[in-house]
Amino acid sequence: MNSSEPVQAELATFLALILFMVISLGLGVVANYVGRVQSGFLKSYFLGNRSLGAFAVALTAAVMSGGTFLGFPSLVYKYGWVVGLWICSYMVVPVTVLGVLGKRIGQLARRTGAITLPDFFRERFASPLLGLITSILVILFLSCNLVAQFKGGGLILKLVLPQSVHAMLGTAEPGKSAADKMSAVAAAASDEATTKAAATAEKPKYRANTWEDRAYVLGLVVFSITVIFYTAYGGFLAAIWTDVFQSLVMALGVMILFPLAMNAAGGINAGTLAGISQTGDDSYAYGPGAVRAFHPIGLAVSFFVMWAISAMGQPSTLVRLMAFRDTRTLRWSIIYLTIYNLLIYVPLIMIFVCARQILPNLAKSDEVMPRLVITLANPYIAGLIIAAPFGAVMSTVSGWLLIISSGIVRDLYQRFYRPQATEKEIERASYLGTVLVGVIVCLIALNPPEYLQLIVVFSSSGMAASFLAPAAYGAFWRRANGVGMIAAMLTGAGVTLGLYALGMFLASTGFDSGIGAGGALAPYYLLGLDPCVWGISSSFLAGAVVSLKTKSPSEELVERMFGLDTPPLSKG
Amino acid sequence: MMPDKSSSAEDPVYLNSLKDARFGMAFWAIATTTVCGLSYFLGYQRAGQKLTAADINPILGIPGWFFFSVLVPWVVCSVVCVVYAGFIMTDEDLGSDHTEALEQEIHEGKDVHELV
Repeated sequence: MNSSEPVQAELATFLALILFMVISLGLGVVANYVGRVQSGFLKSYFLGNRSLGAFAVALTAAVMSGGTFLGFPSLVYKYGWVVGLWICSYMVVPVTVLGVLGKRIGQLARRTGAITLPDFFRERFASPLLGLITSILVILFLSCNLVAQFKGGGLILKLVLPQSVHAMLGTAEPGKSAADKMSAVAAAASDEATTKAAATAEKPKYRANTWEDRAYVLGLVVFSITVIFYTAYGGFLAAIWTDVFQSLVMALGVMILFPLAMNAAGGINAGTLAGISQTGDDSYAYGPGAVRAFHPIGLAVSFFVMWAISAMGQPSTLVRLMAFRDTRTLRWSIIYLTIYNLLIYVPLIMIFVCARQILPNLAKSDEVMPRLVITLANPYIAGLIIAAPFGAVMSTVSGWLLIISSGIVRDLYQRFYRPQATEKEIERASYLGTVLVGVIVCLIALNPPEYLQLIVVFSSSGMAASFLAPAAYGAFWRRANGVGMIAAMLTGAGVTLGLYALGMFLASTGFDSGIGAGGALAPYYLLGLDPCVWGISSSFLAGAVVSLKTKSPSEELVERMFGLDTPPLSKG
Repeated sequence: MMPDKSSSAEDPVYLNSLKDARFGMAFWAIATTTVCGLSYFLGYQRAGQKLTAADINPILGIPGWFFFSVLVPWVVCSVVCVVYAGFIMTDEDLGSDHTEALEQEIHEGKDVHELV
């Protein structure tokens, strides 16, 4: 790499981010046009008219997010081959996440007419309270996550602003190299999964800036306007299409990096030996990992639950299962996702073991991805690869924004406040709701309260522990009732939150279990297992016990959900 | 979770979905047990098993334990996923979409259940 390349890479990253934003805006406009020719505004705006194709389902329902794409290489570089075990449950994810509940959720969503997750639970169990609790939990979890994502988006744009803009704002940061900045971009985009895996004692990252930082405010405003506009205008399809786009760019990046890294390192084994030499620990080649017991076998089992099971209960996954076109689409999406996972994640492990040979002894392992890309690839390709996770942040934000606004418009406004609202009124409320949620989140992201970090870190496990049992029982168990599902939701969320809170409390007293990456945000690993295992199992147990101890659902409801025919709904 | 039997159990979508769910969970359990079990016995530092650089036994540059415990199962699982989705999972008619009917019910105030 010659001396001019860092500057070129910095410019290229900036241009790539602009390109991502322009493409996203374009997709929003096209999605709006497509949505207008479909019938039924709400179903079209919030669910893409149940017309998602196989490629879209495969690449948006269960693919690793951009943040994980950035954080995962850091873990491989730091702890070695055992990190392959951290991610390898992706080998069964296509069948579990799409196959286990897919058909039944798709069928029940059509039978009930549900277009949102609260809608789905409310109608399936004939329980308005269950729908309301679902709305509250979804809005709470996703809103807190949105604040962190907006913060990440704003921070990324701040970091890649040209020096001239920084100088104009008086926020120039002399002495920071292009690689430093892009490493910070990587850190800013990292998500809950990798944050948790690489939890450190540092202050939560989104406290690093406030409204006093003009460059950050500018970045946040530009990010917010872009993402709010294309989401509000394009709806569900815009969110899906941007997700597909960034997934393809990340895949392309891996394909390009793989041969370059193999060649530069002189083979994979050279990387392994370099890792052993640099860490001074033979465990770089083995479990539970170099330097510390990053991934003991109990956690390895937990991560098969974490990725392959808990992903089934994420609202974003369940909404996609309500939106696929037909069962042929579902089958093909399983095939596409299988191929994608095999071709992307296995090479990723090898690439970043090789990085030990190419970039020895990096002080900050989270710099490995951008530094390796800059070292190996053409600056403009490097810019595009580094910018892809920024696209992932945008698509994540747009997907969550829609789930929240659908919860507000459909499950609160229409159900409880204005049932008589006309379609035009609902349309206006949907646009307004999406914009309002975005603006409020943007304002909070200017200076987010510190306690949000707890919710962000535990929310993925918490949502799975809340919604997986009701979804599975709803799909397959006639005896399940609304009270039981409320118990399942609250128990799952409570147990997961409790174990995180306990872990953080113990960490504050200096306790370190020696499991995982440790740090201030580490949960308490009861019997060496991740909280998601306890949260999900306790949720299933509570749902079963309370359902059996309370009144059976009506025969009419059971027949409507499980019967051969699907008579028109009549509850009045 | 034991799905109970009733007169309506013959719904083919329900029955085939149940088959898919059972397959998926069994597949997950076998993969988890195989991968974690093999990894623990072949590739984990533990009492009585001190592994060093001399034990890497690379295959295509990949440590032998990782090759057999993770990579081979990943390829096998991928083949199983493709075969299952491509040739064993059945296509179903998911039935008519009642979105409009629910809209109508909400509009007319008929979507009323007991609170719980």
